[in-house]
Amino acid sequence: MIKNKNDELMINDVKKILIIGSGPIVIGQACEFDYSGTQACKVLRQKGYQVILVNSNPATIMTDPELADRVYIEPLEPEYIEKIIQIERPDSIMATLGGQTALNLGLALHKQGILTKYNVRLLGSSPETIELAEDREKFRDLLDTIGASYPQSFMVRTFEQAMAVPQQLGLPLILRPNFTLGGGGGGIAYSLEEYQTMIARALNESPTSEVLVEQSILGWYEYELEVMRDKAGTSVVVCSIENIDPCGVHTGDSITVAPQQTLSDYEYQLMRDEAFKIAEKVGLQTGGANVQFAVHPESRKRVVIEMNPRVSRSSALASKATGFPIAKIAALLAVGYTLDKITNEITGTTPSCYEPALDYVVTKIPKFAFEKFVGTRDILGTAMKSVGEVMCIGRTMQESLMKALCALEADAEGIPDVFFQVDFLTYPNSQRVFHLFQAFRHHFSIDQVYDWTGIHRYFLEQIKEIVDFETIIKQSPDLTHEILLKAKRYGLSDARIAKLRSSSEDRIFKNRQALNVHPGFEQVDTCAGEFASETPYYYSSYWSSRRVAPQLSRSLAILGSGPNRIGQGIEFDYSCVRASFAAKKNGYSVIMCNSNPETVSTDYDTSDALFFEPLTVEHINEVFLFVNPEGFVAQFGGQTPIKLLFPLVARGWKNKGSSGHTVALAEDRTLFADLCDKMGFLIPPSGIAGYLEEGLNVAQKIGYPLIARPSFVLGGRRMEVLENEEELKSYFHRHFDVISEAQPCYLDYFLEGALELDVDLVSDGETVLIGGIMEHIESTGVHSGDSMAVLPPQRIKPDSLEKIKDISIRLSKALDVKGLLNIQFALKNDQIYIIEANPRSSRTIPFISKALQRPLVDWAVQAILGHSIKPFEKELENTNPFICVKGVVFPFRKFADADSVLSPEMKSTGESMGRAMHFSEALMKAMISSHIKLPHSGEIFFSLRDKDKQEMLDVAKSLIKMGYVLSATTGTAKFFNEHGVTTLALKKVHEGRPHCVDRIRSGEIKFVVNTTRGRKAITDGFLIRRACIELNIPCLTKTETVQAFLMALDSLKSNTFQVAPL
Amino acid sequence: MKLAYLVLENKEVFEADSLNFIEGCGEVVFNTSHSGYEEIATDPSYFNQIVVMTSPMQGNYGSHPEQWESDKIYIKGFICLKMQNSDRDKHFLNQLSQSQVGVFENIDTRQLVFKLREWGTVLGAMVLASSKQEAIEKSLIQFEKYKNQNQDVDWVYKVSTPEIMIEPGENTSGPKVVVIDFGSKKNILKEVKKLSSEVVIVPSRTPYESILSYQPKAIILTNGPGDPADVKMVTQTLSHLIGQVPIFGVCMGHQILALALGGKTYKLKFGHRGANHPIEDLILKKIYVASHNHGYAVAKESLPQGVQVTHINLNDQTVAGIYNKEKKYLSVQFHPESCPGPHEARQLFEYFFKEMVT
Repeated sequence: MIKNKNDELMINDVKKILIIGSGPIVIGQACEFDYSGTQACKVLRQKGYQVILVNSNPATIMTDPELADRVYIEPLEPEYIEKIIQIERPDSIMATLGGQTALNLGLALHKQGILTKYNVRLLGSSPETIELAEDREKFRDLLDTIGASYPQSFMVRTFEQAMAVPQQLGLPLILRPNFTLGGGGGGIAYSLEEYQTMIARALNESPTSEVLVEQSILGWYEYELEVMRDKAGTSVVVCSIENIDPCGVHTGDSITVAPQQTLSDYEYQLMRDEAFKIAEKVGLQTGGANVQFAVHPESRKRVVIEMNPRVSRSSALASKATGFPIAKIAALLAVGYTLDKITNEITGTTPSCYEPALDYVVTKIPKFAFEKFVGTRDILGTAMKSVGEVMCIGRTMQESLMKALCALEADAEGIPDVFFQVDFLTYPNSQRVFHLFQAFRHHFSIDQVYDWTGIHRYFLEQIKEIVDFETIIKQSPDLTHEILLKAKRYGLSDARIAKLRSSSEDRIFKNRQALNVHPGFEQVDTCAGEFASETPYYYSSYWSSRRVAPQLSRSLAILGSGPNRIGQGIEFDYSCVRASFAAKKNGYSVIMCNSNPETVSTDYDTSDALFFEPLTVEHINEVFLFVNPEGFVAQFGGQTPIKLLFPLVARGWKNKGSSGHTVALAEDRTLFADLCDKMGFLIPPSGIAGYLEEGLNVAQKIGYPLIARPSFVLGGRRMEVLENEEELKSYFHRHFDVISEAQPCYLDYFLEGALELDVDLVSDGETVLIGGIMEHIESTGVHSGDSMAVLPPQRIKPDSLEKIKDISIRLSKALDVKGLLNIQFALKNDQIYIIEANPRSSRTIPFISKALQRPLVDWAVQAILGHSIKPFEKELENTNPFICVKGVVFPFRKFADADSVLSPEMKSTGESMGRAMHFSEALMKAMISSHIKLPHSGEIFFSLRDKDKQEMLDVAKSLIKMGYVLSATTGTAKFFNEHGVTTLALKKVHEGRPHCVDRIRSGEIKFVVNTTRGRKAITDGFLIRRACIELNIPCLTKTETVQAFLMALDSLKSNTFQVAPL
Repeated sequence: MKLAYLVLENKEVFEADSLNFIEGCGEVVFNTSHSGYEEIATDPSYFNQIVVMTSPMQGNYGSHPEQWESDKIYIKGFICLKMQNSDRDKHFLNQLSQSQVGVFENIDTRQLVFKLREWGTVLGAMVLASSKQEAIEKSLIQFEKYKNQNQDVDWVYKVSTPEIMIEPGENTSGPKVVVIDFGSKKNILKEVKKLSSEVVIVPSRTPYESILSYQPKAIILTNGPGDPADVKMVTQTLSHLIGQVPIFGVCMGHQILALALGGKTYKLKFGHRGANHPIEDLILKKIYVASHNHGYAVAKESLPQGVQVTHINLNDQTVAGIYNKEKKYLSVQFHPESCPGPHEARQLFEYFFKEMVT
């Protein structure tokens, strides 16, 4: 350990810091690390440090060129970081702000001697600390030395060792693989059979093949403390967090409240002492850490679950919940500041060596995407599965919980009636909270529900009280002031009250207005009102009577994108944050409204006034009534604010930028088709059908293949390619619940094999600037969010590109776009088709902005504010020699039994950027950054449908030439061998053992090519793909991806790569 | 129907719901601790005060008499946004009711805190009335009564032990100690007992001769309620003991020691009450968060030469502790015994016994 005196000296040497980001968004590691990295960059540069940033994720604010002195978008792998170190020669690396990815990378740099070689030190946590906290065995020894308890467990390294454990600890057992993200590969085994399958997977998942098999603490109450520590040893708990879901559900998947509500001060202080001791013993030099505890409901025995010596997802939540900027302060502590020397920004007068006092309650609810992964059961366990989260603040637990339920954007009622099933309570799942409410509507007792769920009776009482009040609302003759105010204090939404009163949301709002029932607005001030605070960070509460609006001149409200979900994530937060900065530069005061605690947009210094509120008409309208903005902007936060546009305009608020008319024209399929017809633009032939017979008629008219989708979709939900009548029938059969004459299904002709392009442009109504054109690598049939893509396009003829630009400009004018427009094109046989147009920010905006260094959002803000964008036209002339490839990251490993075959339904969680002078190198980087293991040698397995065999023959030949060996299913092998490519034939699964899946599981195969389409073939290949997911072997399902993969392998084999800053 | 009102002395009125229809009058103070309502309610330092908890939900974890800071509830009234009050658990509410302590909820406590911050600590009356006007009238009578009863009253003497108690310590090789009781929290005694062989607890007005007759190796001055300037006799007693026997003071004990040394105390605008105030400790050479509960403070400029200020409240730079190596005294304004609140400052007891008591 470094002595204090040396420490002082060391810290003074710090001048140039390399900050490592967290890479693509994956489950368990989302935009909270963009938030922490961005905070760190800002504050360190403010203090005069030189900051170099590396991240492979272009959709982040932190990778904006303004944020650091130099920004590298490169793979987060030791060899790439070494190159960057060579060029930049930083004296320090900060690896504690980029999640587990950055921490592991820091450790790898240390182990490979790179840190020593270049005389670079790790700030915050030392390699020893990282290992100590992450290595469960060492960590348990440490807990022994301070007398802390932990669940009994065994570390196993082999299957045989593992099989001895159940006899000693009994079942259920909890599996925790070492060194994995968000508990990946872990879980709870209830039976011996389950245990056998799960342990095999878990051993594989751990990079060190170590799994901790642990005694179950299911049903214990779970708590988490966020600790900050400086180099002098001063420690504070920034926030305590209590999980409503008891142990057994990953904390990222639990509904949580802050501060903790059910521990006595006596118990809480002992827990706090233990957290400090652990942080100290682990050797946390400076910065943030979180420690998780479990407490037995009756015996009150306390055990330590785990500790993370870094800024975490919970730190982001704790920062937003308390106003204490953990990442910013962690960065300052790492370079040698102490807590007492850092002013609390919120009060502006007191120091940061305090513990925030909350006079409100914060609730976080995770957002799930099970519906995207057909075949996966909606059951929660120790491996995290949620893709996003919402946070809301209320004066009581009830108010904050109910606001958060509204913020999920699942149902305007917040707590809709559901068809009650006990199973939904007994097994933790994404819908459990709604069934809790329903159980009380059915008059089940608190004790009964406690028996089913193990949720603390205190929380159950809070829920039951709300349900009891629903009855009063239903039965009272009039909605008096008293009843309405009480209902609102319980957090019941206007829509829910309307449902209970058989009224409409609008009428309830008018009732409230007539009786003057509006929320007050309070500030998050870190001190429960003890000191005056000017920081404009607000939340609404019906318990509050305070309505002192911030003094804002020319205020513009920006509506955020709410919780991350598949299809709407960090890319939209990027746009909102950029828009906020741009509007501020234009002299506007920005009011930010969002409910997502992971984001940069909900940092209180991103805007002039931050409102942490659900993105619903009701809540945003109340914010607007309070601040009375000059206008609002709905086009940066994705589909969420677009949906709010019409109702907010209907309530009299002024929308800035593209109008509702533009949105309607682009979104209504019929209107849009008419417009395209009139303009002479091609769109794929299409029809609509409310029932099967109608569908068959449409099919007859336009022919197969068809692409089918229900009327209201997000991220390609329930979209499928239908090859024939049988599949059409099956589609209507399987989706009968969402297709009706009122909500018909769209059937478009599917342009098989067409190239797809994304165009993002900015228009002020006069000038149209084409921001960039991205070419998808996979052909049509793969959702644009799931497709790899390249900028500039590689396979499109120049005159086609010119035509596309021309169509884009004319379309944007016809739609009267003010601001951003995203258009998707398909190109087949030199014909250009428009697939769809969205008059809003898109997922590709940040990618294009980074790749071409064009501030598209800033331009859009100019247009929205009524300025001409003509002056920026000349910036389009700046050429950029780099080729940028978008890589994609999928969460299949988190969802047992989900298929990895790509389809029109989006399934990816994140993206990466590969940036290089050559296409192949860019491809390689994008794949490495997307966690695809590129093999240098070994066996490659093919399972192809007949029509792809000829095309793949060349690929096979190239692979042989590059030194790989091939194997294939019987038919494919026969074809290859007949054409002179030596291929080992393997049995298909139904042909008996040993078969190809056995071989994949043996680890012999390095990657798999499995092209397939049609429901039957998809089922056949499922076991192959699933084996690949579990063993983390690349499995390519599209011919274009295979070709790209080949180019990447080629680049890999050449063993050269460059790194370059933006 | 009777409605509940909190009327402040400056005629500001807050509507509320009364949970036990008990009225009360006292100084209105606010505490920002998240947990610890029982320790607060049973801390004699809160004698006669109406406590407003800023943490909105109270009573959540029931009642644990083993964690009480004394044998009874000392507060005059308890105000929060929402009180735990279900069939399963209303233990804390019941205990307050049994002790005739009024409980108000459904009150905008944040707005109330803003007002207290603005005006400083004021008298308040929790009254039941059928109108605001009636409430104000009722409160005027209560204020009058309160003032008559509490004019120039030595509160410390009221809550101090009526008779001398001798209790065994837990450390047989430790020193014998006299605790001058100003209304001590149990945890001060607990910490002291851990380190001493015998503890003699004496009333506040015990003459110094009587104290010395026990031949104590150390004297502990405890916490206590009210204005230190109203406490009778103790400053004179102490002037005979300073320099003779090592002294350790906590909260009121600290203030009285400062007065005995010739210093002055003053009333803070709205006091320090909570579990999150940062302290710079020059004795332990640490910065930590400590438990606070005081309405008065020692004026730094009033302290005579030789008195070293060793503890500073970093929020407002007020004096949080004084020390003199030769004369062997150490006292702190905050609560090293915690309960409620963090434990970091507990080390001060050890420091005193180890470094200053011979």
